[in-house]
Amino acid sequence: MANPTDHAAWQSWLQRFGPKLLLCARQWTRTRADAEDVVQEAFVRYWRHQRDLPGDPMALMVTSVRRAALDLARREGRRARRDDLAGRGGEPVGNFDSNGEGDERRAGLEEAVQRLPAEQREVLVLKVWGELTFEQIAATLDLSPHTAASRYRYALAALRHQLATVPCHE
Amino acid sequence: MNEELTQLEAELRRLRPAPVSPALQRRIAADLSGAGAVPAPRLWSWLAVPAAAGLAAVLAQVAESRLAPAAATADGAFRPVAAEKLLVSARDEGVVTLDDGTTARRRRLHFLDTIVWRDPRTNASVTWTLPREEVRIVPVSFQ
Repeated sequence: MANPTDHAAWQSWLQRFGPKLLLCARQWTRTRADAEDVVQEAFVRYWRHQRDLPGDPMALMVTSVRRAALDLARREGRRARRDDLAGRGGEPVGNFDSNGEGDERRAGLEEAVQRLPAEQREVLVLKVWGELTFEQIAATLDLSPHTAASRYRYALAALRHQLATVPCHE
Repeated sequence: MNEELTQLEAELRRLRPAPVSPALQRRIAADLSGAGAVPAPRLWSWLAVPAAAGLAAVLAQVAESRLAPAAATADGAFRPVAAEKLLVSARDEGVVTLDDGTTARRRRLHFLDTIVWRDPRTNASVTWTLPREEVRIVPVSFQ
């Protein structure tokens, strides 16, 4: 696609990958507003300059999102200022789509995921919803693939343990 | 991985991440279209070298003034945050005689000036890369 502002093309791409990227971004940001900021920055950079690069676009985008999130975290003044804006910082927005059916179970799962240690949760999110391989996760998080795989197993085990103590009604 | 964990993994995969908000889509659309921002450099910079050179001189002045935070474009949104001057080529055109009879050496230099503009409200950025030609006349004396 030669035209970098091809509306239909980028919208299609964003609809496909955007929700996953936002979920990944939430692992490294304090609020959903921050997550949207870093996804916007990373997506625009990708669409303008990186989409013709070889390799898995999702892996490239996740790396870019994480870098943008780390940059944002360094800009403490900007974060504090934005959190003062009414209605944005800290608003209770779910990370997953709700379709009405099985919402209780979905909420239980989401809560359990949120209670995981951060290093396990980010690997879980990148693996399950980011659909990255352990090698790609390792490269993104600067870990060994073995460590990434271990954290993933620990995360699943911890989730199973948490859910076993929570009544679920599907 | 045992059966129970495999089932849990499958259940997690069925959870669908929340969709991108319309507001975020609008912001990205504005970023990609450059709406309300400085025009994209590709449209004209390499087509109008003399004009670009003049504009580069103006931007160089901005850069030399250490990119004061108060500096802004006409719409007041984007501000220059970084400037870089790259010497691409230099050619010595030898000794010339000026109109007033002065003998001088003429050198022709080609630069690429890059200015990065950023909108602090949205963190959107625009990078201008402009070619610039500079002719230096240095008086010489033969002793």
